[in-house]
This record gives sequence, C-alpha cells and structure tokens, in this order.
Amino acid sequence: MSPVSVVGVSHLTAPVEIRERFAFAPAEAEAALGALRTHSAVQEAVLLSTCNRTELYVCPGGNEGVQDAAERVLAEKAGEVVGGTKQYLYRHDGEATVRHLYRVAGGLDSLVLGEAEIQGQVKDAYELAGRNPATPALAGPILHRLFQSALAAGGRIRSTTPIGEGAASVASVAVDLARKIFGGLEGRQVMILGAGTTAELVVEALGRDGIRGLVVSNRTYERACELASILSGRAVHFDEMPFELAKTDILIASTAAPHPLVTRDGFRHARKGSQGGPLLILDLAIPRDVEPEVGNEPNVFLYNVDHLHEILDDNLLKRRKSVPEAEAIVDEYARDFLHWYGARGVVPVIRSLRARWDDVRQGELERLWQRLSHLPVDDRNVVEAFSKQLLNKLLHDPTERLKQGAGNGRGVEFIDAVRYLHDLETVEADRSEESGPDDDDEVGGIEVGGIEVDVPPADDE
Amino acid sequence: MTHAVALLLYVGSLILWFRSLLSGGRGRGPMLAFGLAAAGVAAHAIALARFTAEHGQLPLNGLAPSLSTVALIIGIGLVATLGLGEGRRVGIVLVPVVILLEAVAVSLGIEPAPEMLDFQGAWFAFHVTLAFAGLGGLAVAFASGLLYLVQLHELNTKRMGRLFQFTPPLATLDRLGRTGLVAGFITFTLALVLGWLWTVSFRQSFDQTNPKVLWAIMCWFIFVAALGVRVGDGVKERRSALASVVGFSLIVVSYLGLRLVSSQGGFFL
Repeated sequence: MSPVSVVGVSHLTAPVEIRERFAFAPAEAEAALGALRTHSAVQEAVLLSTCNRTELYVCPGGNEGVQDAAERVLAEKAGEVVGGTKQYLYRHDGEATVRHLYRVAGGLDSLVLGEAEIQGQVKDAYELAGRNPATPALAGPILHRLFQSALAAGGRIRSTTPIGEGAASVASVAVDLARKIFGGLEGRQVMILGAGTTAELVVEALGRDGIRGLVVSNRTYERACELASILSGRAVHFDEMPFELAKTDILIASTAAPHPLVTRDGFRHARKGSQGGPLLILDLAIPRDVEPEVGNEPNVFLYNVDHLHEILDDNLLKRRKSVPEAEAIVDEYARDFLHWYGARGVVPVIRSLRARWDDVRQGELERLWQRLSHLPVDDRNVVEAFSKQLLNKLLHDPTERLKQGAGNGRGVEFIDAVRYLHDLETVEADRSEESGPDDDDEVGGIEVGGIEVDVPPADDE
Repeated sequence: MTHAVALLLYVGSLILWFRSLLSGGRGRGPMLAFGLAAAGVAAHAIALARFTAEHGQLPLNGLAPSLSTVALIIGIGLVATLGLGEGRRVGIVLVPVVILLEAVAVSLGIEPAPEMLDFQGAWFAFHVTLAFAGLGGLAVAFASGLLYLVQLHELNTKRMGRLFQFTPPLATLDRLGRTGLVAGFITFTLALVLGWLWTVSFRQSFDQTNPKVLWAIMCWFIFVAALGVRVGDGVKERRSALASVVGFSLIVVSYLGLRLVSSQGGFFL
C-alpha cells in the first residue's frame, strides 16, 4: 500500500494568474483541512500553499477516492477556470510523493533554485495541520514522519551543498553587498533615484528595520510621493537630490533618464564635506544613471546591471552544479522513509499471517480430535505442541524475509505479495470485527525498523 | 603536556577555519572553529598557570615563556571577539599567529630563564604584561586589517564568492581593528612609561641605545602611525587597515632581525 499521495499546482504547471487562484490563506487552509476530515478515507492531510505552489499531501496513498477528495478541495478554491482546473494539477503517489516533498523542501523544485524560504513554509504547513488547536490534528504518524524528514533533508541539503549559496536575485545581491559593507543596516540612509519596480523590490529586501531614513527622488514629484508612501519613506524634489546624496549610505538608481544623473563632478560636489563613509551604489538603470568614474571615488562601491547579472549568473551556475549532490541526499532520505514505512507495515502483516495459519491449525486440530476422540490428554498435548512447532518452522522463513524486506526498502512490495498470497485482508477484516481498535498495539518481542514484533523462534519447543 | 594539548586544539581550530572558508562560512563551522580555539586558550592558560606554580615566577622571562605568553594574550584577544558575530572570523588569521608563537616556544622548551634578572617583582610583571597586551591588541588590528583588505578587494573586483561570503563586513572589521589599536596603544604606552620610570628610579640611567628600548620605541611609533592615518579625509578605514598590517609585519621582522644581531638576544623580549 502506498503511504502518501500529493495533488497540487506549481510554477511548473501553471502561470501566476492561475496559481494565485489556488492559493490558501492560513484560515482558508484550516477550513479546507477541516472539510477534508469529512471524507472518511482521508486519514492524514497537510496543505502547503506558497506563492509558487499549492499542494495537498494526503494519506493513505494509492487511493483514488482520497486523491479525488484532495483534488476537489483545490478545485473548489480555484473556482471556475477556463478549460478546467485538471489541466494545471499534478498527482504523485508513493515514492514519487516522498521524493517530491524532499525536493520541494530542499529548494530543488523552487522557481529560484535553492531558495531557503520554502523550508519555513513547509514547516508552517505541517504545523498548521498538526498543531493548531483550532484544527483537529490531521498530520498523523505518517505525515509527521514524512514532514520531519523532509525538513531534515532540506536542512542537510542547504548546509552541506552550495545550493543556497550566493544571492539569486538582484534584491538579494543588494542585501548581501549592504551586509558585507555596513555589517547591518541600523542607522543607514537609503535613497532611491527614480521609481522603478526593481528599486522597490530591493528596498523591500533590505527591510526597513533600523534604517535611519528612506528618501525617494524622481523627476515627477507625484510619483516620488506615491512610492515614498508605499515604502514609508520621504519624497524629495529632484533638485534636492545632491543635498540628500551627501547623507546617503545606499543609493539605488533606476530612472529612465537618457544620460547619467550622477556625474563624477556632481558627485564630488555633493559629497564634499560629508563624513566620507562608505557608499553603496546600485545602478539598475539602462542607460546608466551613474557615471562609471564615480566608482573610482574613495569608499564608493558602484555596481551596475552588468555587474549584478554577472554575480547572479555565477551564483546560479554554482547552484545548478550542486543539484546532483542534493538529489543524492533526497534519494537517501527517501530510502530511509520508505524503509521506515515498510517496517511499519510489516508488524500487522506478520501478526495477521500468524493469526491466519494459527486459525487453520486450530481448525485442523478440532477435526482431528473428532476422529481421534480416544486419544489420551497427554498424547493430545504432544500432537498440539507438534502442530505449533511445525507452524513456527513453516512461518519462520517468511517472517524473516519480511523483516529483511522491510530493512532493505522492499517492505511495501513484500507486504502486498504476502497479503495477496495468504488472503490476509479477509483475516484482518474478521479480526477487526472480533477485537477492539487498540489490540494492534499489544505486541512485544523482536524489533523491526524500530517497531516491536512478536515472532516466536522456528525451533520453539 | 598541557602545552601540547593547547597546540593540538589550536591546530584543530585552524583546520576548521580553513574548512569554513572553503564552505563560504556556512553552517556551524566558524562557531566550532572558534570554540576549539577558545578551548586551546583555556588549555594554554592552564599550562602557563602550572608553569608559574611550579617555578614560582611568571612566564615573562626568557624567550620561550615570553613567546608563549604573547601567544596566550593574542588568543585571549580572539576570545574577546565572541560577541562580534562574523567578527570572530579574524580567528583564521590570529590562530596561525598563535600556533607559530606557541610552536616556537614549545620547540625551544618552556623553562625558566637560567639567569635571574635583576628586575623582578610586580613592577616588572606589570610592565611586561602591559607590553604584551599592547602587542596582542596590534595583532588583533593586524588580523582585522588583513581581512578588511581582502574584503575590500572582493568588493572592488565585484566578486561574491566563498571568500566574500566568509570574510566579515568591512564595518565590523574596521571597528575591531580600531578597538585593537586603541587598546593596544594605551597598554603599550603604559608599559613604556612604567619601564622608563623603573629604569630612572632604580638604575638612575636610561640606555637609549639598548636594542630593546629602540625596538619598543619603534613599536610605539607604529601604533601612533596606525592611529594617525585615521585622521583626515579619504578612506581612513583602508589606510588604517594597511597601516596595521604593515606595522605588525614590521614589528615581527624587526624583532627577528634584532634577535639575530643583538648580543643581548638571550634577554631580549
């Protein structure tokens, strides 16, 4: 039986205008998980919703009804979509789901390869399903194990491979540069020249905590005011820019001006009398807003679009090179999980297998006693002991092989075969009617993949 | 034995520092390297405390004990960067300096000076300890300055590789270098004043041609120069970093030179 399935939509299958229709706010996610509870076959579920993906992980896997229920939850959220939602959705089952989640947590399936934010988002999704007191916990033992190991795999991928190394966007390059020049942004003055979207993104990435001031200067003062109000900054008239430049630590230029706005002479004049501290200039404009000679001034760190893209290309190349290493970690964790799951499934199968043939043994003995009613009690005991010993010998090898199968990752395959060959579904159904739900936990003896199994030795006397 | 343990811990720390450098300072590598260096400093301090207890004198006389004490003070300077975040990574420069000094001391044999000097006592202990602390401050400024120049080079060449990621921010390095210089200047100046006062009080003469005196005065001027370049316009942080690196190197080279040519080599330092 497959442990888990996933139904979802991501940046690989749908454009942003479709993805945003599938996106769940935390409260909506709680409600959706609650609704899933009403589907009797769904035992566990976790909903992961980020700007690049919405995925519903459900247990048990390999169950079309469960997958359909998950798909309905997503389709209901998206509402009417031209051509239907099915075309954007994907389904994975069993090992593919396990590997998929590990790749997601490790940033291998992200829009920006190796991005770190997804790790926190996976954790949040798991906690929402498992710990929120307002939601009946839906992350049970299987998804608990799966998500915990996914977070561990993601952590190991990031700490042992260079997949998250180096900035992967202009905004994060800017943050890295600012951090390596100033240490922190406390007390720093930031000026935006122009009102380009990239400049806005850079300011967002820098974060406003601790920044002394944010100034926006634009040829159109109204546009400067508009951006300043969005970014909680202060707009200044364009002719005040040189005065502000003297106090600036980080300058982000992104105007559409056809010629440089910051010339070397103008810069020298503007910075005359300033403290002479470091100045980071990010010239994101084409044509450039800042004369290249300004970069030769003391304590000025000037980066234009080409510099930034060279850095980005270099970083992304390094990230791509580390993918095989990261995939090997995914493989390792997926094997471990399937091993654990296989071992987990072995316990009830061994128990059912023994119960199945013990019932047969007892039935045959009953028939034998009817034919041999003259047999003294002592002889009957000897025959009964012999029957038990024979059963133990017959079941010893299959039991051992099952345990070994669980240990080498073939547990699921063996379990299915044993269930089918010995018709264990029927036995389990009969037993579950006879006994309470907690009976399964009353086992003790040999440990299989961390789970105790009661298996008598083959030569039990 | 304890010195050997300290050396081993320092070497372990150095290996971890270089491994951290290769990984761009990611993960727990820098913290482990710093922790191992701190353990080395603790073992080193115990070793010198045992020396003091066994021989009834501070490890300030003779070349080997003095070198070991200077190494310990530099190690303490590194431990003092604990609260500086990435600033702790100056350990990648300081730990090799400590290893070099301690290894020379161990190879020479850390034993009491064969000839008892006439200037023993608290006065002398203060004088030498303050002088060593001054050199320790300059060593910290040297390490910060070196990393400052490396980071500046990375920024100017527009590279953001592992060296860039590992090396601390310019502002942190400048602050650390300035602190090392100021602390070193104060303690070294106090050491010189104490030494001069003792000489004129108890010997009634001051031999200005003594290589030790000349070297100490040169060291003091190096401190003055390294601090002096921070005054004025331009990139004073870069000037100060450069001055600290050149100054410390000059002190080491001149010391080695004086050791080779001085007839009083056995007592020098």
